Amino acid sequence: MIEASQLAKNYGSFSAVKDLSLTVRPGEVLGLVGPNGAGKTTTLRCLAGIIPATRGSIRVAGHDLAADPVAAKRALAFFPDEPRLFDYLTVRQHLAFVARIYGVRDHEALAQPLLDEFEIADKADQLPGELSRGMKQKLAIACGLLHGPAVMFFDEPLTGLDPLGIRRMKNSIIARARAGAAIVLSSHLLHLLEEVCTHVLILKRGEKIADGTLAEVAARFGSAEGGVNLEEVFIRATGGTEH
Amino acid sequence: MLRALLYLRFVSAWNWLLTRVRSLRRPKNLIGAAVGCAYIYFFFIHSMGGPAAPRPADEHVAQALARAQAQLPVDWLPAMIALGALGLLFVVACAWLVPTERPALGFTEAEIAFLFPAPIKREALVHFRLLSMQLRSLAGALVMTLFTNRAPILGGNVLTHALGWWLVFSALSLHFSAARFTLTRLAEGGTVLWRQRVLWAALLLVVLGATVLRLPEAMPAAARGAASLRPVVELAVALGETAPLAWLLWPFHIVAAPFLALDLGAFARALGPALALVGLHYLWVVRSVVAFEDTAVDQAAQRAARITAWRRGGRAGGPAQARPGPFPLRAPGRPEVAFFWKNLLSTWPYFTVRVWLAGLAVAVAGAWWIARSEAFAGFASEAALTILIFAGYALVVGPQFARQDIRSDLTHADILKTYPLRGWQIILGQLLTPAAILTGVLWLLLAPAAIMLWPAPETGSMLSAAGHVIAALGLALVMPALVLVQLLVPNAAALLFPAWFQATRARGGGPEVVGQRMIFFFAQLLAMIGALLPAAGLGTAVILALHWIVGVPAAVACAAVAALAVLLIEVWCGVRWLGRRFERFDLSTERPT
Repeated sequence: MIEASQLAKNYGSFSAVKDLSLTVRPGEVLGLVGPNGAGKTTTLRCLAGIIPATRGSIRVAGHDLAADPVAAKRALAFFPDEPRLFDYLTVRQHLAFVARIYGVRDHEALAQPLLDEFEIADKADQLPGELSRGMKQKLAIACGLLHGPAVMFFDEPLTGLDPLGIRRMKNSIIARARAGAAIVLSSHLLHLLEEVCTHVLILKRGEKIADGTLAEVAARFGSAEGGVNLEEVFIRATGGTEH
Repeated sequence: MLRALLYLRFVSAWNWLLTRVRSLRRPKNLIGAAVGCAYIYFFFIHSMGGPAAPRPADEHVAQALARAQAQLPVDWLPAMIALGALGLLFVVACAWLVPTERPALGFTEAEIAFLFPAPIKREALVHFRLLSMQLRSLAGALVMTLFTNRAPILGGNVLTHALGWWLVFSALSLHFSAARFTLTRLAEGGTVLWRQRVLWAALLLVVLGATVLRLPEAMPAAARGAASLRPVVELAVALGETAPLAWLLWPFHIVAAPFLALDLGAFARALGPALALVGLHYLWVVRSVVAFEDTAVDQAAQRAARITAWRRGGRAGGPAQARPGPFPLRAPGRPEVAFFWKNLLSTWPYFTVRVWLAGLAVAVAGAWWIARSEAFAGFASEAALTILIFAGYALVVGPQFARQDIRSDLTHADILKTYPLRGWQIILGQLLTPAAILTGVLWLLLAPAAIMLWPAPETGSMLSAAGHVIAALGLALVMPALVLVQLLVPNAAALLFPAWFQATRARGGGPEVVGQRMIFFFAQLLAMIGALLPAAGLGTAVILALHWIVGVPAAVACAAVAALAVLLIEVWCGVRWLGRRFERFDLSTERPT
């Protein structure tokens, strides 16, 4: 469960996120959409406790992120757009390190299925420098999933993955949502959001333009036309120049 | 076409300069530039313009030279020429004997992207690259001149030094290119390079061996067995002037001669042959050019990756090697240990307990032997004091080298902040590795120093043997806390002034980067003094108060414990405070998204 209320993030006089409120329940996948500079990554970083919010409150898995960040972070995983790996830890050593940080007991038994799922089991003793961009992305995701997070934040999760990797990633997100995880993902790939997300939230210049289920948002911006896809909704909602 | 390429080079240089100047609008750059320019002027340029002469600061050098009964610079010229030529021979031999992936002509990724597909003849590309190399040689020569112009044992003046360095660098860079082209040509012609290298190495060894065998007859009889530095000088001269090595060194003498010329006349006489040698190297490169594009492309990509990794806080020395963890890391346990384990993996593989114990054994055995040997009767205490001075220096500058802490992990800060840990846990965990490394190094220095300073019974030393042991152990006891306090300072600087910290990581910067680094260093020194004063003050007070009552050894032990307590309190406060700072640390204010 993710709950944000009146979330705001300022950089000096510039407001990157303005009074944003959202709720993501277990089993839901919220897609964050918006033009470049809309505040998607800033929002994700605030929700994951990476950067402090200027105002507002955030609760992750029932824990107030400001008051009890350790408990909140124990329940979440953040997946940045660029995999941030340690140059000198092998795939297996990354998992061992993360296991100690999160106190994951018997992590070898948990790690092996993840390595298999992301097809990096044969790279277990290799360093990130020896892995392709997609492999690094998979390792970062495996590290994030090791402690079985109830809340997940994905920032452009498909960047660098091959078509098969994209398929697996989509299935993995859907499977984890069905297993009860609350997920927020930010992406410019609107077809991904259509396939994966149960809800969508459109941001523009840090402000929420619309949110709700895909059908609700489509109904709001689709006017009387039928069959309007998310791309059309996005362009209309953000004031694009296509129409 | 070459004009277009020259345009690229000079406009790039001009824009680089403009960018530097514009960057001075930022206060941190302006202040850094002011400090850096002042340093460069007063330390290097102020003394330029005339022949170098010994300065008061070089008193110890002058004394050493006097002991050697040397007259400067005439007396040392042959030795310098010989040593310079030997050094150049070593460098050039490496170019032929040591395999390398470096291309004969290096291009940047942008140059490859724009110039390789462009309608430009290969000759033009080669000349463009050679010209760029000469400009780089010139820049290197100017920097080296700043340093060597301060040396009192050199003749000549700033101009002869600068041109001399440029000729040396120019000849070397051309030689490296020619050597790589020649090796590639040989390999393409079917020569097995490793066999060829073994043959060349064997030939070089034969030349060296033959020279060494002839050395005794070449050495002046008066120099042999003399109790001064004179034999060292004579040996270097004899080595450089004895055939067959002298024949091999002849081209190197020619290249080094302008730099070592004592006056303008000697410089003018040396300039012609040196320029001719550079010209011959140029012809060699141009006539031996083979395909260089593939290697250049590979190398440019690798270099770009290294620079990117370095700028992001990673390692710049090439790809890391996978290796087993320093100890088994089980999932349950203190998370701080995980950082210790992770950061140990990022260091050199020989930072292990086994290597440390072996080093300690060697140091202790050596110190014990020196302390007990009558031949080194006066040397032991001097050596111990030198080691202690070095230990103090290591304590001050060590944190600048042992950086396996939050400074190296700042680029991972967003990931670290998602960990379910308090800030102080992350900071403490990050500090453990450099603290362990520096403490290990300092203990390795303290142990032999303590043994060599062992009080002789007849000297009436203030400390008894027991007191000496207690003092040494007390110092060893406070050392980890002392190191941790030291490490807190640069880590605090990285978190409090991330922009300044990042600026000091800038590569190849101008005076502003030099100045920023100096400011950083002195700020650290001041903070360190401030942090150490309470512990030192309390320790001194304890010794003064207690040594009348419990005796010196016990007072020293109590002082060590008191100082340790103060230092640990400081460390704890510092770690907690830095932890809170890390929790509030907002990377996005540096890089808004």
